[in-house]
Amino acid sequence: MSIKTFAAIDVGSFELSMKIFEFSGKNNMREIDYIKQRLDLGSDTYAAGKISNEKVDELCRTLKEFAAVMASYKVEAYRAYGTSAIRETENSAILLDQIAQRTGIRVEVLSNSEQRFLDYKSIASQGESFRKFIEQNTAIVDIGGGSIQLSLFENDTLVSTQNLRLGVLRIQELLHHASTRNGRTEDLIDEMATAQLATYKKLYLKEHEIQNIIVVDDYISPWARKRAGKSGAQAMINVGDFETLLQMLRSKSTTEIAKLMDIMEEKVPLVLISAVLTRRIALLMGADCIWAPGVTLCDGIAYEYAEKNKMFKGEHDFEKDIIACAVNISKRYMGSKKRAETLEKLSTTIFDSMKKVHGLGKRERLYLRIAAILHDCGKYVSMVNIGETSYNIIMATEMIGLSHMEREIVANIVRFNHSSFQYYGQPGMSGIDRDSYLVVAKLTAILRLANSLDRSHKQKLKGLKASLQENELILNVETQEDITLETCFFDQRCEFFTEVFSITPVLKQKKNF
Amino acid sequence: MAEKEFKNPEYYVNRELSWVLFNHRVLNEARDRNIPLFERLKFLSITASNLDEFFMIRVASLKDMVNAGYEKPDIAGLTPTEQLKRLHLAIHELVELQYSTYNRSLLPLLEKNGLHIIRHHEHLTEEEAEYVDRYFEDNVYPVLTPMAVDSSRPFPLIRNKSLNIGAMVRKKNNEEELEFATVQVPSVLARVVEIPSEGDIRKVILLEEIIERNIQKLFLNYHIVCAHPFRIMRNADLTIEEDEAADLLKEIEKQIKKRQWGEAIRLEVEENIDSHLLKIIKKELRIEEQNIYEIDGPLDLTVLMKLYGLDGFHHLKTPKFEPQQVPELPTGCDIFEEIRKGDILLHHPYQSFTPVVDFIRQAARNPEVLAIKQTLYRVSGNSPIIAALAQAAENGKQVTVLVELKARFDEENNIVWARMLEKAGCHVIYGLVGLKTHSKITLVVRREEDGIRRYVHLGTGNYNDATAKLYTDVGMLTCSEPIGEDATAVFNMLSGYSEPLFWNKLSLAPLWLKDKFLYLIGREKKYAEEGRPAHIIAKMNSLCDRDIIAALYEASAAGVKIDLIVRGICCLRVGIPGVSENITVRSIVGNFLEHSRIFYFENDEHYEIYCGSADWMPRNLERRVEILFPVDRPELKEELFHILQNQLKDTVKASVLQPDGTYSKVKKRGKQVFNSQDAFCEEAKRKAMALKEESALDTRTFKPEMHQ
Repeated sequence: MSIKTFAAIDVGSFELSMKIFEFSGKNNMREIDYIKQRLDLGSDTYAAGKISNEKVDELCRTLKEFAAVMASYKVEAYRAYGTSAIRETENSAILLDQIAQRTGIRVEVLSNSEQRFLDYKSIASQGESFRKFIEQNTAIVDIGGGSIQLSLFENDTLVSTQNLRLGVLRIQELLHHASTRNGRTEDLIDEMATAQLATYKKLYLKEHEIQNIIVVDDYISPWARKRAGKSGAQAMINVGDFETLLQMLRSKSTTEIAKLMDIMEEKVPLVLISAVLTRRIALLMGADCIWAPGVTLCDGIAYEYAEKNKMFKGEHDFEKDIIACAVNISKRYMGSKKRAETLEKLSTTIFDSMKKVHGLGKRERLYLRIAAILHDCGKYVSMVNIGETSYNIIMATEMIGLSHMEREIVANIVRFNHSSFQYYGQPGMSGIDRDSYLVVAKLTAILRLANSLDRSHKQKLKGLKASLQENELILNVETQEDITLETCFFDQRCEFFTEVFSITPVLKQKKNF
Repeated sequence: MAEKEFKNPEYYVNRELSWVLFNHRVLNEARDRNIPLFERLKFLSITASNLDEFFMIRVASLKDMVNAGYEKPDIAGLTPTEQLKRLHLAIHELVELQYSTYNRSLLPLLEKNGLHIIRHHEHLTEEEAEYVDRYFEDNVYPVLTPMAVDSSRPFPLIRNKSLNIGAMVRKKNNEEELEFATVQVPSVLARVVEIPSEGDIRKVILLEEIIERNIQKLFLNYHIVCAHPFRIMRNADLTIEEDEAADLLKEIEKQIKKRQWGEAIRLEVEENIDSHLLKIIKKELRIEEQNIYEIDGPLDLTVLMKLYGLDGFHHLKTPKFEPQQVPELPTGCDIFEEIRKGDILLHHPYQSFTPVVDFIRQAARNPEVLAIKQTLYRVSGNSPIIAALAQAAENGKQVTVLVELKARFDEENNIVWARMLEKAGCHVIYGLVGLKTHSKITLVVRREEDGIRRYVHLGTGNYNDATAKLYTDVGMLTCSEPIGEDATAVFNMLSGYSEPLFWNKLSLAPLWLKDKFLYLIGREKKYAEEGRPAHIIAKMNSLCDRDIIAALYEASAAGVKIDLIVRGICCLRVGIPGVSENITVRSIVGNFLEHSRIFYFENDEHYEIYCGSADWMPRNLERRVEILFPVDRPELKEELFHILQNQLKDTVKASVLQPDGTYSKVKKRGKQVFNSQDAFCEEAKRKAMALKEESALDTRTFKPEMHQ
């Protein structure tokens, strides 16, 4: 197999970095260069909402250099992603266009959940050690500049993820305003964290028992990695070691710490914040083993790219994680598990039989499944306005692995499953682009049809077989039960389906006597 | 003993005084009767140029300190003022020995061997005088710029290191007033002028004598009262304010022009100079008594190098050694292919430097090469490496070159070719703010069938094909993945990006190297304490870092056997009871300048060997970018160990440091006479020969024997 060279660029809040990778053969990903340039975009954004001109100039200059390095490696493809500092600037669209004009590099903005998903993938790129670790209940603590993300694993599947606004740069910014004596800093961080973490525990952690923590950050991880040497798999810290580290951070001067940990002095306060947060979370969860694999967003970007381009077959099933997350959300809002399963089955059967007509792929099938699982979450709030309330719940709930736009798609499918469809350009359809709109329309049609097949919520139509015959979609159901209600709704719902696909669904009941 | 104890100033030697001892060792070569006469001239010339440089940098910087009122004692507890005081004594003594060697040993021997140097123009025969005068009129007179001083003309600028003739003159129409006049002996003309003579004896005279003889012709309206040569040395330690200079390049160009205006710190005059003339020069240059050197013989003995270059006298010179082919890299081979077979060690000048040049040349042409990155400190004029780099850029390779502009005395040179590289399309980095880049590393990135592969050359010496024939250095060619990764990280750091998370193999100054050495020394100490074998052999140019020396003392006290091969400055003392009894220090001064840095650590019988660009000096460990690399391939480790062993066996060129701080030649009694540099030459020849024979066997053609 030929070799592909790929560049992953992370326009982070504190640092610009680029990794050059080489993909060869199956599952062979080799890092050949790693360039980092410190550039604090975060403080500008968090404080003023915009990035200053000087910083933009520096950003462009560095990206231009990155482009030259990419050229020197004859890189075939690249992905450049901006994270919270870019995401939260008020004029990010203008900024990104300017960067593209000046450097030729197109930077895309990652939504928080996409970013976390990539971080998560970067851990998964560690392969065996990752799988072993998540056999026990595990939390991923992803500490960023603006916020931290807590994700929980049970039975090696991701079950929930939450974002807390406790990023290190944000905390440091707050600490600047609070004039404190030196010894008080730690308590102050602890206090800030505890308030938010207590709520988190009450709402999400509940009875979960967590044994392990995986830390992803730019502060403790490098240290742990250095201590462990080359292999990221070795960078384990037990809680005792962690106390020793904290003790050192407390008792030594900044210069001494910088020397001992072999880091830049300006990073020392951030290390302290990161360490205090991690310790607080470990205590909260009762975990006793901390793993800091030292992976970076760039690793996740490369992993995702390789996966998408079939150069890489990941061992971990991320789709399963997303589905598990959806199931959990549904559970939280007391959705019917049985009905969700039926709906999922019916809609995917229809989806699969219609491949030639709708032209959608694997990813869209996933949206459909999630929409089916979450189809009734709004009921928890209101039995009348299910469409709108479901939409709002989904838009307010993070699902790791889904981008903002993807979430919008899923939420709209669920919404139009109940409410009347809004066409492109109509006020109800703002915030969504044309392509996504078409996806919404098609999947809504399918979900509506599936929904009509289980109108009674009694899962009458279990053995559904669908086949496309010219302009008709023949749906064969095997059931002994009376399906009058379904047939009635079916005819109503067919209309939209026919409108979208120009295909008429025909329901045929086969009774086996 | 407490750690503080090991840092007791009494256990240390001042570095400047130690340097003077080094120059004495070079001078000893000039005094060695076993060495061919013309080689002895060369060594004497080297002591002179060494001393010039020492004045311009070290003495100058001590003077700066004194002027600035800086009184912090050095490693041996001496303040700058005290150091200067002792130095003046030591240097006056050195200079006396230089000239007594010249006058008493070398001159008579030259005479005996058919070369007569006419010391004073007064000694010329009539015929010779006629020749000389004609020579003056034809060649010298047109380029001279005589300058007289009077009330309307200020004292002229006397250029740094230039040789001048000062004279007292009196206007022909004014009987009373004496005036000062001066003329520079032009450096564009050969200083040694051969006078045609019949018979076996060849005669030469120095240019300044010719000018002195004809000086009247320069000042036609004056009577010449007296005329004597003199020479001055100025403060040349240019300190560049890097943080302030917005454009480093321009700043250095400015500094170079300013250098000749520096304060005069040494005045050399002829021994019998007219006292009135001396007084004027002294006053105008504001020079102190102790900095005046009255010389019995020609000023500036570097002229002897020119004498060495005279045609003939081959029997009085050591035959030139031709660097041998590296057996692993036969002419015309694909260097990359050979490197893939295994790491290759190069030992210069015994082995040729050509493979290093070819490495870059081949990279420049090779279609699979993506990038070439290199650090350059000092390169030769008309360097083939520069040409190859420029070629590579023109061929579309990405070429990054870090050019160290702060390489002393080479700035002007460096700027010229740095600009040339830029024009060719190379990305040129002009050094780092606050640090000198002294590391010697080249990285070639190649895209091969199975992916990116990196080829790295690491060395102890500069990428200079000219000095590679004179300096002993080692280098290694490798395509080891861990070293390749580190090399990429090195260049990323040099380009201003952040450091990597960790280093696989390389240790870099100024951030990590010192700790690495202290760790390695400490590890030996630990083994010694556990009663296991512990041994350090370290070869370098200078040793004067206090922390390292203290660590060595500690290790020695714990029982580690330490053998040091330090060519130049050594601030460590041997034989201090309870401190350094297990340490030996030897210095090798031979035909080739010892320059390689090799470090051996016994490591509980799993010995490790490192090579690098750094000496154990604070400036190397703290203010420079340096690289230390381990040599892992067993065959190469053995070879390096063998190099160290041979140097420890040397009985001819080695001087051993004594507990009283002096050096003396190895006692030969009972030992085989062994010259390590000669042995390396022979070995290199043997290896190259073996290769030739081997390849002769390989051919399938018959070779008819020639009838003699």
